[in-house]
This record gives sequence, C-alpha cells and structure tokens, in this order.
Amino acid sequence: MIATMRYEFAMQIRRPSLWIVYGLAFAALVAVLPYWSLTGGSHGGNAVAGAMSRAAQLLVTMLAMVYGCMLADRPGRDRALRVDGILDATPSGRTARLAGKYAGVCAATAVPMALAYFGRAAAYAVAEGEPSALGWAAVTFAASTLPGLVFLGALGFAGPLLVPPMVFRVLFVAYWFWGNLIPAYLMPTLSHTIFSATGEYARYGLLAPLPDEYGRGPAAMFDVLRPGFTPAAAWLWMGVMVALAAALLVLVRLRLSRSES
Amino acid sequence: MRIDVSRLTKTYKDGTRALDDLSLVVPAGMYGLLGANGAGKTTLMRILAGLVTPTSGRVVIGGHDLATAEGRLAVQRTLGYLPQDLGVYPDLSARRFLDYIALLKGLHSRSRRRRRITELLELVALSDVADRRLKGFSGGMLRRVGIAQALLADPRLLIVDEPTTGLDPEERIRFRTLMSQLAGDRTVLLSTHIVDDVAQTCRSLAVLAKGRLAFQGSVRELVAHAHQRVWTVTTPGPAPAVGRVVAALPEGAGMRYRVVAPGPPDPLARPAEPTLEDGYLDLMDTGP
Repeated sequence: MIATMRYEFAMQIRRPSLWIVYGLAFAALVAVLPYWSLTGGSHGGNAVAGAMSRAAQLLVTMLAMVYGCMLADRPGRDRALRVDGILDATPSGRTARLAGKYAGVCAATAVPMALAYFGRAAAYAVAEGEPSALGWAAVTFAASTLPGLVFLGALGFAGPLLVPPMVFRVLFVAYWFWGNLIPAYLMPTLSHTIFSATGEYARYGLLAPLPDEYGRGPAAMFDVLRPGFTPAAAWLWMGVMVALAAALLVLVRLRLSRSES
Repeated sequence: MRIDVSRLTKTYKDGTRALDDLSLVVPAGMYGLLGANGAGKTTLMRILAGLVTPTSGRVVIGGHDLATAEGRLAVQRTLGYLPQDLGVYPDLSARRFLDYIALLKGLHSRSRRRRRITELLELVALSDVADRRLKGFSGGMLRRVGIAQALLADPRLLIVDEPTTGLDPEERIRFRTLMSQLAGDRTVLLSTHIVDDVAQTCRSLAVLAKGRLAFQGSVRELVAHAHQRVWTVTTPGPAPAVGRVVAALPEGAGMRYRVVAPGPPDPLARPAEPTLEDGYLDLMDTGP
C-alpha cells in the first residue's frame, strides 16, 4: 500500500495538466470571488478563525470541481495503460493497492489546493501580524476541507468505473453545483445538508461564527438533513463524509473484483 | 518448479470457452507452449499467474494449489510474469518503474533493490537509458523492461506470453538467447505462436488447439510427426493441389514448393527433412 501510495502520488503531482487546470481555476477564483480580501471573513468573535473559514469556503467552492475532475482518469489508468497484468501478478494485494492508489492520488491532487489555501493564510499572517492564522488554517483545513475531499476522492474513484472519465467530469461539475452550491429554496438539492461536501458544518459548527448570509431561509425539501450549525452536527458531518467514502471504496473494490475474471 | 494442470476449463461471461478440459504437466526448464491465435494460451498463462480464476479444474505449482488464496500468494512470490500486452507507466523512468514493481514484489531493502535493478538493467542492456522516461522507449526496449521486471525477485517460475511479437529479428534473437540463459534451474514457460522461437529455445513443448491439448512431448517428437510427410516440388505450373504448402521460393522459371502431405503431392516431388514448423502444421491438419 505504501509503495503504491508513494508512486501514485509522484505520478499525479508531476502531471502538468494538474497544475495548469488548478492555475486557471485559481485565477478565476481570484478574479470572481474575493479570495485575496484577507479580512473578508471577519464576522465578529475570533476574526482570525473567521477569515480562515471564509477562505476555506471560497477555496472549496471553486477548486473542489478541479479536484474531482483531475481524479477521473486515475482509477482506470492501470488498465488503460495495460499495467494491470504486471501489478496483479505481484504478491501485493489488490485491496491494498486500491487503498494506496486512492490515498496517493487524492493527496497529490489536494496539494495545489492546500498550497493556495496556506499561501493565503501565510499572507494573512504577515499582513495582519497574526501568526496564529497558520494554526487556524491548519485546523480549519483538516476539519472542514479534508473530510469533504476524502468523500469527493472516493466519488472520483467510483464514478469513472460506471461512466467514461469525460462524462464523469461533466456529471461531477453538475453535481457540484446542484448538490453543494445552489440555494436550497431554489430547487430540491443536497446543498447545506450533511451530505454536502463543502465543509460548512465543521467550519461554522466548530470553528467560526456563522456569517450573516447563513440565516435560515424559507422551508425547503430535505430540511430534515439540515441540522443547525452545532459541534454535534460538525462531528456528524465528518462521520458521514468518511462513511460515504468508505462505502464508495468498498463498491469500487467489489466492482474491480467482478471485472477481474 | 513443476506445474500440474488437471482438467482445466475456462468459460468467459460471453460464453467463449477458452480452455476445455485441459490437462498438462510442465517440468522444470524451458518449456514451449504453441498454438494459433485464440488457442487458449494467454488464458492459460493468466490462470497460472493468478490473474484469472478457472471455471473448473485444478492447478498446482510447486506444490501450491492456485485455488486457495495462500497458494496463489505463494506462487506469486516466486513468479516472474511478462504479459502479452505489456504496459508501463510512460511518465516513469525505467529505473523508477522497476523500483515500483520491486516494492510490490516485496523487495523492501533499498540497497538490495537498487543492486538488483542495476544488475537487471545491465542484463537487458538498458543501463544507458535507465533514467529516461519510458514514453520514449521503442517496442524492443519496452520488452526488455518487461523481462527485467519479471526477473526482479529472482523468480523460480517465469511465464512469458508472446514475448517476441513485434520485435525486429535482432531483438528476437537477443531475447531468445536471454530466455535460454535464464532457464537454468528455473521453469520458463514460453507461450508463442512463432514456431521458430520454440525450435530455438525449448526441448519440450505442448500444443494447444481450441482450448484443448493437441500435443505434449519433446520437440523431436513433434518434428517426427511430419516424418515422410514433407516434400519439395519444383514446377513452372501452379502449386500442388494436394497437401499444405508451407513455403514457396522462386527457382529459375518456376517455383520450388515445400509441401506437407501424406503422400507425394506431385510425381516429381522429393522427400525432405521435416522441421518443427512442418510437424506443428501437420499436427494442426491431421490431429495427434
């Protein structure tokens, strides 16, 4: 598992398209959303925590789409390159290799996102004279961004086994807007539920005060899945993300077993 | 390492029966597996490598039953496998690719791994390009990377599936020589549809046809199958209508044909010494 993780990480991180696509998306993030407005997240209370939460929210809004799309060709890559025969004939287990591939590819794909986030946190720390921003950034990233990426990574591994990678990318972007960004009162959606991967339950349930625009809107379908932003809801959300990821990876493993012989 | 295959059948989901009640014993040393495309060779290789589960039947390799997970694992620990459709990661160098496969094969000591990879790169004459990305390698160079990866863990069993397909004559000869040198006390199972590869490297072989065993024995025995059934005819006219023409060479105003047939295909036909190819073709035409 470790060997596969190491090499899959290395192959993904050196992929030029990873950096190009992230670069373009990051440029859009800066141009369209107030990502460089360093204090844009201060809503009273702990201003540093609020600023780091706001940055995480903006980052995930745009870059999570790139994250999912850049994973799409990885699950079927060994077969497409016809390396699977050699790998399967080694005594390394298929489950361990799948786990290693998942961890390595997802970690590498998250690196540009982490650089963008921690780069901004460092800029904030210097500009505002708040070194604690780096600590808050680490905690915010770990609590509110990583669980979502764990789930999206598993989705990025499962989806392309059912549809071609290009189709998956289109579906993934559509899913991202529908299930995570669209306001709940507009249409039935998973946005703002505990199944949404944006991390708002962890950010505003555990770390930062709730921004003004998060006031409860009109009643919407699936409101039962939208608990208040409490610490309990935050932990529940993290558990849901990890559980969904585990379930998806089990399905991926079963699907690979079925196609083995 | 002896391979015992008994009553092996493999039927794919689409109903294709690739192997049909196949029984075979492969002793230590270099062993050839001949057969036309679609004869079931690759399916047999993939079953022996633990990649495909048979529909029925039993395979025991070196005392390990492939039906059990432990047996498969034990075999894969001593296995070197070069698949027919060899693929590599184009973004890795030869050295890094071998390092990855070595790790998967359980060579965890970094110094031992490095030493082994350096040895093998020298063996397959790729030391000069070891740090170049694989995407720039020719077909022959990739085949050599393939054989290097198969040898990483010093396997007792080496399974090579159609290794010389697509290689130029020089590469083919180099590859065959390498295979023969490697055999030693290993079991090397060479699957191919190129008869000459087996003729030049193996003493024993099996022939598959439509998933069944058509022949098992020595190369000499298969050659003898065509004894007194190979003829040469030189004629200005058309090829003999009787028998199978295995070669045609322009000679003077006419053509010299080499024909495998039960009797003289022409009044002017002369008997010729059979080769392994003649024996193989005669077997395919007449059966065992």
